[in-house]
Amino acid sequence: MSELTLSALDRDEALSEAIAELYGQTRAEFLLGTTLGGAAMLAALIAPPDAAAEVSDRGILNFGLRFERLQATFYTEAEGIGTIRRMPADKQRWAEVLGAHERAHVRILKKVLGRKAERRPFFDFGDATGSDAKFTRTAVAMEDLTVALLAGVTPRVHNRNLTAALFGLLTTEARHAAWARHIVGATPAADAFDEPRTLSDVGGVVARTHFIARRPSTSRRRRPRFTG
Amino acid sequence: MYGRDETAGAGGWTRARALRAAFGGGLVVAGGTALGVPGRLRTSAAAPSKQQDAEILDVFLLLERLQSALYRDAVRRGRLGSDVLEFAQTAGAHEAEHVRFLVERLGGQAGPEPRTDFGDVPDSDETFLRVAIELEEATIGAYIGQGANLTREEVGQVAKIVAVDARHAAWVRDLAWTSPAPHAADPPRDPAAALARLRDQGYLR
Repeated sequence: MSELTLSALDRDEALSEAIAELYGQTRAEFLLGTTLGGAAMLAALIAPPDAAAEVSDRGILNFGLRFERLQATFYTEAEGIGTIRRMPADKQRWAEVLGAHERAHVRILKKVLGRKAERRPFFDFGDATGSDAKFTRTAVAMEDLTVALLAGVTPRVHNRNLTAALFGLLTTEARHAAWARHIVGATPAADAFDEPRTLSDVGGVVARTHFIARRPSTSRRRRPRFTG
Repeated sequence: MYGRDETAGAGGWTRARALRAAFGGGLVVAGGTALGVPGRLRTSAAAPSKQQDAEILDVFLLLERLQSALYRDAVRRGRLGSDVLEFAQTAGAHEAEHVRFLVERLGGQAGPEPRTDFGDVPDSDETFLRVAIELEEATIGAYIGQGANLTREEVGQVAKIVAVDARHAAWVRDLAWTSPAPHAADPPRDPAAALARLRDQGYLR
């Protein structure tokens, strides 16, 4: 599992704002303290929203865009600083394909949204992109996270063409997750259903791992080296 | 090393254009034609309904049953290499759960169990991997193509299944030394073509 928390990563709070819009402020604050791709984060993302608020398809697509940018930025940064180039050939291939796919997802969603596409957020991956081991661990977590995320939002979309498109992105992200897990020697498909634990289990996970939800600050922080 | 991928290929841009048109045009559903969604979906531009759910879920059930049968045969015969056998055991257990889940959701409307005969397919890694990939891809493509015509409640249910089938597809493709994720966005497929091939080969009676 990655040790990167959402609050450390989400430098200008674009992700937490998006989560607050789709899932409510309480969930957003909870998620900020969770580890990227960890069980608590996955469960909180796939569980139904606190309020049954209807969110527009545009809101959901922009939410997806922020997470695709998160991934694209991650792979692009690892490529830019040479981490991927230093990996064995099979892992290089894997990381390059995933990076290309995530960048394509960003382009697709930006094209779909047109001028409604939100501004590009800034992310700070700390040293997660600097070594093969940390990069790989974070990639596995991030791909599992995106599967949970898309499985959660796909039923909330109104337009059926968009639903079909999100299914196509969901299956691609699930392939990425399985490929990443196979690369690290983990079972590519651990369960029959891609549904993380229930929210009541999450309380236990949080207690065990001492995750503490923190209130998002309103100040802007420094810009990272790469953006997606 | 894998062959060439369609990573950021033309398909994505075509789809993006189609989607933008749908999105900008008052979110009108075009019965899946903009995405090239084939077969039954194209004819079912009707709004999602419980009856339509049953028809679509029954197609998914048939595909899950075929996968389940292939993996069960392979595990029973035990002639595969250890890595491939591990896949058949794990994916087989998942498919059996998918079958149970869909049968339950369909209530009394589930179709009959298909009669299958995979012959010597499960006896070698090569033939098993080839047919397993074909079945996994047909299943994923059917979910993508037809899943959007389900009611929203069922969309949420099948999203949890198709993600696992996509994991299986990547895993079995990796075992076959072919790219686990050949597209930046997976396309919809008409399951009829895959089912016809299975019938031609005598695997599905």
